[in-house]
Amino acid sequence: MASHHPATVGQTHVANQNIMAAGFKTAEPLEYHRSFLKENCRPDGRELFEFRTTTLNIGSISTADGSALVKMGNTTVICGIKAELTNPTVEAPGKGYIVPNVDLPPLCSSRFRPGPPGEQAQAASQFIADVIESSEVIKTEDLCIDRGKLCWVLYCDIMCLDYDGNLLDACVIALLAALKNAQLPEVTVNKETSSPEVNFEKRHSLRLHKHPVAASFCVFDDSILIVDPTAEEESLSTARLTVVTDEEDRLCSVHKPGGTSLSGEKLQECINRAAARQREIQKLTDKVVHSVKAAQ
Amino acid sequence: MATVQVSEAEKVYILHGIRDDLRVDGRGCEDYRHMEIETDVVSNTDGSAKVSLGHTAVLVGIKAEIGKPRPMVPNEGYLEFFVDCSANATPEFEGRGGEELGTELSNTLYKVFNNKQSLDLRALCISAGEHCWVLYVDVLLLQCDGNLYDAISIAIKAALFNTKIPRVHISSDEEGGKEIELSDDPYDCMRLQVESVPCIVTLCKVGHRHVVDATLQEKACSVASLIISVTHKGTVTCTRKVGGGSLDPESIFEMIEAGKRVGKALHAPLMKLLQQEESLGKKRQKVGFLG
Amino acid sequence: MPTDTKRVRGPEVSQSPSLVTSKPAAALPSSGPRADGRQRDQVDVRPVFVRCGLVSQAKGSAYIEAGNTKLMSCVYGPRETERKDETDMKCGRLTTDMRFAPFSCPERGSWIQGSQDRDFSLMLYESLQPAVCLHKYPRSQIEVSVMVLENGGSVLAHAVTCASLALADAGIEMYDLVLGCSVRQDGASYVVDPTYAEESGGSCGGSSEDAGGVTVAFLPSLNQISGLQSDGEMAGETLTAGVRTCIEGCYKLYPVIQQALLKAVRKAAPPPSES
Repeated sequence: MASHHPATVGQTHVANQNIMAAGFKTAEPLEYHRSFLKENCRPDGRELFEFRTTTLNIGSISTADGSALVKMGNTTVICGIKAELTNPTVEAPGKGYIVPNVDLPPLCSSRFRPGPPGEQAQAASQFIADVIESSEVIKTEDLCIDRGKLCWVLYCDIMCLDYDGNLLDACVIALLAALKNAQLPEVTVNKETSSPEVNFEKRHSLRLHKHPVAASFCVFDDSILIVDPTAEEESLSTARLTVVTDEEDRLCSVHKPGGTSLSGEKLQECINRAAARQREIQKLTDKVVHSVKAAQ
Repeated sequence: MATVQVSEAEKVYILHGIRDDLRVDGRGCEDYRHMEIETDVVSNTDGSAKVSLGHTAVLVGIKAEIGKPRPMVPNEGYLEFFVDCSANATPEFEGRGGEELGTELSNTLYKVFNNKQSLDLRALCISAGEHCWVLYVDVLLLQCDGNLYDAISIAIKAALFNTKIPRVHISSDEEGGKEIELSDDPYDCMRLQVESVPCIVTLCKVGHRHVVDATLQEKACSVASLIISVTHKGTVTCTRKVGGGSLDPESIFEMIEAGKRVGKALHAPLMKLLQQEESLGKKRQKVGFLG
Repeated sequence: MPTDTKRVRGPEVSQSPSLVTSKPAAALPSSGPRADGRQRDQVDVRPVFVRCGLVSQAKGSAYIEAGNTKLMSCVYGPRETERKDETDMKCGRLTTDMRFAPFSCPERGSWIQGSQDRDFSLMLYESLQPAVCLHKYPRSQIEVSVMVLENGGSVLAHAVTCASLALADAGIEMYDLVLGCSVRQDGASYVVDPTYAEESGGSCGGSSEDAGGVTVAFLPSLNQISGLQSDGEMAGETLTAGVRTCIEGCYKLYPVIQQALLKAVRKAAPPPSES
């Protein structure tokens, strides 16, 4: 940024350097990043295995049964949960439904166009659905109200509001926090009329069996690993990897969509970092959930 | 919407004319063009009407079907609007070109009828919470020569007037189940009270004045118009500003007044005309589309 | 209905628990103070919280919160126009897209944009377009998107305010800010900046003649109305009075919006220090 007011020699020098840096960044983005990675740090000042500051805000949407807003650096994701009543399928009469969907509206970045969900949004929705199923965070049996007749369907709608990389990690945090925040009204089935009756006065939380947390990594130049990539780092990297672990350090999901190969040793490194991240995030989530409960 | 290119000199000519309350085709600022209405033009609908206003021509068909009442209002039927901008009207509507205008028009129609007075929806209820009549109002644009809203609203009013809904009887069988029986007699039918169905008046701001029923040339000289739907009592059921310009609050108030005046005056002759046509019965000479 | 293969699908039909009880919504009283403590028949708008420049990826952005109504708007561009067949290349193109998050209303909405969303987008477009100096952006388009996170009433009015703030934050040249305000007429009395309950409860409440809503988009320093929309049934005088009330509401909002913009500008370009 050039300053228009009189400045000392030292200041002008710094200003010139800034212009040079900005030019270098636009002209040779990969070289720019490499020059930082060589020094074991990143353009935003982080270390290679350091996450961006993560903040969590829950229960801010009163029209949703449960909601959470997550910010990881610039990346912002909101999750709203709506519970509705429906009939279970014939194949699984004792189970309810969880329907997660991730949306990347054109609002969150210029790379997304209006219209039906693009490839990335579809892949993210499927990833979240897989995490829910494999981690067993919620047992669909718990969502059954009257076997074969009535059950809950939880619509978990996740929307990105600002896309600056690492969508999946933010989505999982938002989903878990919103599920913890969700309060469902009590539903009983009237024996005589066999019609459901809803008691909005009496609400209860969902039973969460596990607490999965995702940690995403990027591979630079086939060898350097970084965690929590920004949008720019994502586009420059040669491979991406997302590891999901729960509180007992069990792997729920390892998602590596193509890209360059990765040694087993490096993968183990990632899993260890993911396990540490799980503890950080579970602590953060519990703290926020408790503070909201205390405020009520 | 269909537009025409107007040169600067033409614009000045039109503007000066309107300033002196004399439009290119000899009308005053609050005059409509020649209007023709014919009802009962499509035999396979329950009610239909064709309206031509200058060179603008629209056809409205109404189909009554039995549906389920909306959960929030179990004792009322409802209306569904669909506006089809066919490529007949202008080549711009080819493919999906007319879709945007179609949704804009139908959304406005929903708003025009979104009140208790326009049409007695309770008359459309057959049995509360279970069955009601749903009136599908299909609008087809045949030709566009400006002022679509007004022509459509008049055609809808005429078609609703013309609508004949068969009478139904609810009989319950031994097990308490209800059955709907349609009357066999084709003349045994229900008519709708269309007295208070509103008409839309579009006022186009041209220069410092506003004109009713603008032609495409006049529309090209205007930056903004106001749509006002007015009932026979002079109440307003919907207003909407359209076009790329903004309007002074004072001129909006003037336009609302003018719209009320023009719209109120439109209803009585229209009802008279419709009743006259109806009274002719079978003797009426059908004109059809090419007349 | 065609199946949606691009999303995770749930059961074919499901019902909100609030519909199961099928209690008809209680008509709100049309006299006395309002549920949130505001006054009737007075230009009593909800206090608004506004912030600019929250979205890092957008050229300009704004977030507005009034009562339970929460929405954000982002502006991208000006960039090269997508439509090449446009005859008039001397002027820029403005596009608007307004959407409701599925969880934003008491009843869950669909991901697929309905005709209501498109109607809102169009009204937003018509309200904003007169204020933007589009002739300064030939051959390019400016994209405005609005996301409603929670619908707490008067959504369109706040969307207009929020979008114009985002446009200003993006540095798009404008003649003036555009502010929005709504009024709900309920018989003899009216409420300014209605909540969702007031918007939906009033209309089924009475059979009185004057029942309806007015939304106005207003350019305060030019004293021009760029958007006007009303429904329900009202006498001409009531409508005129409603429009006047909305304009008054907009003037109440004006200093708050100006402050937010000033704050954003200060942050983006700090004044030169005195050293």
